[in-house]
Amino acid sequence: MRQTPVYIICSPRPLVGKTLVARLMSEFLLLKNGTVSAFDINLKEPSLLDYLPRITETAEIDDTVGKMALMDRLIINDGLAKVIDLGFHAFEEFFEMTEEIGFMKEAARRGISPVVLFIGDTDRVSARVYPMLRRQIPPTALVTIDNEHVVRGELPTAFAMGKVLRIAALPVFLKTYVDRLSFSFTDYLQQERDSSTELHQWIRRNYLSFRELELSLILQGS
Amino acid sequence: MAKPAVIVVGADKGGVGKTTVSRTVLDYFSANNVPTRAFDTESPRGTLKRFHPDITEIVDMTTTSDQMKIFDTLNAVSPSVTVIDVRAGLLSPALASLRDIGFLDAAKSGQITFAVFHILGPSIASLDEIAETASFMIGAKYFLVKNFINDTQFFQWDQATYNSYFHRIKDATELTIPKLNEMAYEQVEVASVPFLKFVANKGLSDEAANYSFVLRGYVRHWLANVWSEFDRIKLTDLVGSGKPATRGGEK
Repeated sequence: MRQTPVYIICSPRPLVGKTLVARLMSEFLLLKNGTVSAFDINLKEPSLLDYLPRITETAEIDDTVGKMALMDRLIINDGLAKVIDLGFHAFEEFFEMTEEIGFMKEAARRGISPVVLFIGDTDRVSARVYPMLRRQIPPTALVTIDNEHVVRGELPTAFAMGKVLRIAALPVFLKTYVDRLSFSFTDYLQQERDSSTELHQWIRRNYLSFRELELSLILQGS
Repeated sequence: MAKPAVIVVGADKGGVGKTTVSRTVLDYFSANNVPTRAFDTESPRGTLKRFHPDITEIVDMTTTSDQMKIFDTLNAVSPSVTVIDVRAGLLSPALASLRDIGFLDAAKSGQITFAVFHILGPSIASLDEIAETASFMIGAKYFLVKNFINDTQFFQWDQATYNSYFHRIKDATELTIPKLNEMAYEQVEVASVPFLKFVANKGLSDEAANYSFVLRGYVRHWLANVWSEFDRIKLTDLVGSGKPATRGGEK
């Protein structure tokens, strides 16, 4: 059966790099597949919609209509990869809802591969919600993002039990550079001829991590 | 042949969810392969009939002919379980009629299994209803159903007062029907199908439907909670059908 990946990038904390990871993942999928559908449930923070307006639509899960509009799309096995930038304010509501409506079970039945990319942090809220994610999400579908810029090499060991994907910290000047709304990771890869630059290598390394993640999904599905 | 069982679902007050509870009971028996027939006393146009047309008949319980239709056939027809959705205001008169025709005595002597699901409303009037109904309950299994489906701020009366009424009835059991998401409830209403078919994404004649996955999820979750209450009171044992079988709706 055809598998449709759904990447849910989340954290109960603000400003931990959710939108950065969502941008990277969306651009990677766009480069690889030529198409991707992104959903922004992150309107209270720097938003994916601001960076990738052509492929991103806003979604709200405050009410049932919003939940239907989002989840009824995510559960369709159309082969189109989807990326969700899930804001910290919507974290608990989202996972309470997915648990209640049996999203993971129905997704497995329909050939959808949800992957939760949880951005780890050293705070108590992250430590509290992680066991909930582990209860709800199969280990193969739960990936901790070790964002060096956030945890500075001190990712709590509890988060490191499953699959971990590391994102190296960028120097401040490069961070400022990639944070510009007009910046595109893929455009940079294609236009910058010097592949030895730190940013070039950083993007390639992250794309490679995503490719490995995708391969592991394919292997699980086969 | 199994002993006939009659389950009366009713309340004297309207709009407390009698038909909703009747529907969950019919779905529960359907999922547990318990052959059931139902009578809808909202004559001439019944709501229960709309959701379960194949097994439901509309009757006017105030007429002798329809009383005969229900109670004279208890031993004659193959489904041994009969569910009666009693329309608003008719519970006490219906129980009085059952007493008058000797049905309650038959239940008391063990010839018939008789259960009453008394759906409670939010007002203090519901407490008076308990006192009124209690006098008919000798020989019956009496379930007081707190139905939260439509309103989270439901029971406004004092718990101690409620307890004093509740304990007047020997062996009364309390049941709780949790709240269902409003939009999910509305969509099942619009679809006019049993909850079980809504969850399975099917129409009334088992044709494929296109209900929202989210709403189906809410209904499935809610129905599982309602059924766990029915499991708790051993409803299938009560009607003489043994343990609950594997159920489609909980997949």
